[in-house]
Amino acid sequence: MDSKEISSKNKASFWSFKLSAHAMTLIPAAVGINYVAKAFAEGLKLPVWLGSLGTFLASMLAGPVAGAISGFINNVIYGLTLSPVSTVYALTSIGIGLAVAWLNQRGFFKRPVTVLPAAILIALVSALISTPLNVIFWSGQTGIAWGDALFASLVAKHVNIWIASFLDEFVLDLLDKTVVAYLAFLIYKQLPKRLVYFFKGTEE
Amino acid sequence: MRNNAEDLALPAWQAAIDPISKLLLILLFTLAAFTAGNLPSAIIVLAASFILALLTKNLHALWGMCAFSLFLILTMLLIQGLFWPGNHTAAFSVASLTFCQEGLDHAALLACRILTIIFSSSFFIQTTTISENARYLENSGLSYQQVYVLMSVCYILPQMQENLRKIQLAQKARGIAPAKSLLSRIKNLFPVLLPLIVKSFQQAMNRSIALQLRGYANPKRRAASLKQEYWKDKFCHRLLIANCLVLLGVKACLIIFN
Amino acid sequence: MSNNFQLTISQLSLRYLGFENLALENISAQSRGKRIGIIGPSHAGKSSLLALLAGIAGKMIPAKFSGSVRINGEELEAWRSQHEIALLLQDPASQLSGLADTVYDELAFSLLNQGKSDEEIESAVKRAADQLDLTNLLDQSPNQLSGGQTQRVAIATALVTEPDLLLLDDPTSQMDPLGRQHFFSWLEKLSCPFLLISNELDDLADLCDQIWVLKDGRLLMADSPQEIFRQLDDPAIDKPVAWKMAKKLKLKLDGRYPVNAHELKEAAENAN
Repeated sequence: MDSKEISSKNKASFWSFKLSAHAMTLIPAAVGINYVAKAFAEGLKLPVWLGSLGTFLASMLAGPVAGAISGFINNVIYGLTLSPVSTVYALTSIGIGLAVAWLNQRGFFKRPVTVLPAAILIALVSALISTPLNVIFWSGQTGIAWGDALFASLVAKHVNIWIASFLDEFVLDLLDKTVVAYLAFLIYKQLPKRLVYFFKGTEE
Repeated sequence: MRNNAEDLALPAWQAAIDPISKLLLILLFTLAAFTAGNLPSAIIVLAASFILALLTKNLHALWGMCAFSLFLILTMLLIQGLFWPGNHTAAFSVASLTFCQEGLDHAALLACRILTIIFSSSFFIQTTTISENARYLENSGLSYQQVYVLMSVCYILPQMQENLRKIQLAQKARGIAPAKSLLSRIKNLFPVLLPLIVKSFQQAMNRSIALQLRGYANPKRRAASLKQEYWKDKFCHRLLIANCLVLLGVKACLIIFN
Repeated sequence: MSNNFQLTISQLSLRYLGFENLALENISAQSRGKRIGIIGPSHAGKSSLLALLAGIAGKMIPAKFSGSVRINGEELEAWRSQHEIALLLQDPASQLSGLADTVYDELAFSLLNQGKSDEEIESAVKRAADQLDLTNLLDQSPNQLSGGQTQRVAIATALVTEPDLLLLDDPTSQMDPLGRQHFFSWLEKLSCPFLLISNELDDLADLCDQIWVLKDGRLLMADSPQEIFRQLDDPAIDKPVAWKMAKKLKLKLDGRYPVNAHELKEAAENAN
């Protein structure tokens, strides 16, 4: 019996810029999930955004390019429909997508205990990219009440605006990214095998 | 971008400007707003973008977009007026709080920039439709795959909203009591989110298969014919990009020589 | 579109990567006629068979297969490169591109991919819409259609390219009885060969030249509808209503129970 092994033609190297046919539909779905998770967070009045859940899953399923593009498109579309200033934060979303994929490849999302350090790192990346944007556009504020209250109290004590803004952003990101990371971890484990294999395009 | 179900009924001149030029206009106004170094010039740029937004005759949508950022602008005025490092000239006092001119000016400058971005974006948003943008982008040289990744999201979001609504209704019907603590609220999230996500990814998988079967990547593919004739689109692109570069140059000079 | 159609499958096995069980196990069959119905309980491998024929299993979904598949004497890959196969997925909503403004644009999509001109597209779309009662839906958004309408649009997208082989995976699952009736009467007039997965056993028994029965990845039987339902005795696999009625009424035709309405009528007339 001759065995014809047909490897998936859509496998590209981990960092390749060529978008596979699978990522083509995964990305819009991920953006949809970002939107829905955010709507949920708002509806349930959670103190977190959850708006990067889809980006996390896209990165875990299909690598850094898919994750980064999901994040980018998320902000661009959000910016062109609801809140135009969101577009610049596409840079943050790209950073998150890349960081998640890099950490996932190193196995940080395999066990619950390693998800936390991954979340901290991702929060750090997010805060580092967002802070300059916050300073340029919003003079350091983030728009979230209790974060900006922290910011105001720091600035009142003459703390440097960059440090105050970074802390404002980092504290918010830490909580948000931890919740999202654990949600993504749990959801990924429950995804049907066929789905995971399809988007990964693995060869045996 | 508007949904095509709504009839646009645009004045001819608005319809004749191609989507990429409208996007470049946003870039131009944004750069102009950032090049304006002081409040009076920023207000002039703001006024110009406001006039552009008014031309779409959709004040309701415009207000909706501004309202989003209004809270942040107000808190910015508050915080910067009170605490900005460069504060030294008092403007006015409320109770025991003294608001300083420099902080208020700085916050007002930033507010002008944000509103300029919003107003110029509104022109693009109110005068284009998803399918027109998709067609034009593909005719301009983007591959179908690239256009698909950018634009199909706009159709997916309403579908996701619908799926979400159905699931929430089902949850209500089952009588899930609203939880009190943060942890239990997050716990309630999971059983609703998981099936929604699995379904979305399964549909994405099927859709990818269907698109491949239908030959989207066929080298013979041609872009759908444009339904609208645009006025000198290539010329407009070059003109707008040139203006953007000029503004970047001006800003660079201002930074270097200040 | 050729009128000759000969599908020969020899010792075909298929395994999806990451799964231990075989989706298809050692299937050998030869088609007779142009219309083949495929029946069987769930997880029988019916969709996998169509997926393999369409080039999905293996190319788009990672899988290993062994054995051979030939159409009109040519290897499947070679035949596929020269001919058009259209596959209708089980979920009609996913069949649509997701980036079409109107039903017309949706149908035109497959033709744009082939580089057809606007005039060719217009006539092909109108023809397909006509065949499936979609003419007054052409200007509507695909997102606003009912389940049955979406399914008809999905079928039209498969038809619009005038395929040489049509593969249909449960195409009437979301239709009401009237819609199903229209569909099968339209399918009867279709000239291209097709493989059809369905639970509508009476319609299959009426329409198909041959029925293949799959269970747990294996082929149990491949024969004419009459022979299949005469010999088949598996509780997991249902029988046509006509057969069940004939059995109750003890009406036989040529020593076996009728499998469709025509035969039932004939058997009843013979009995009187």
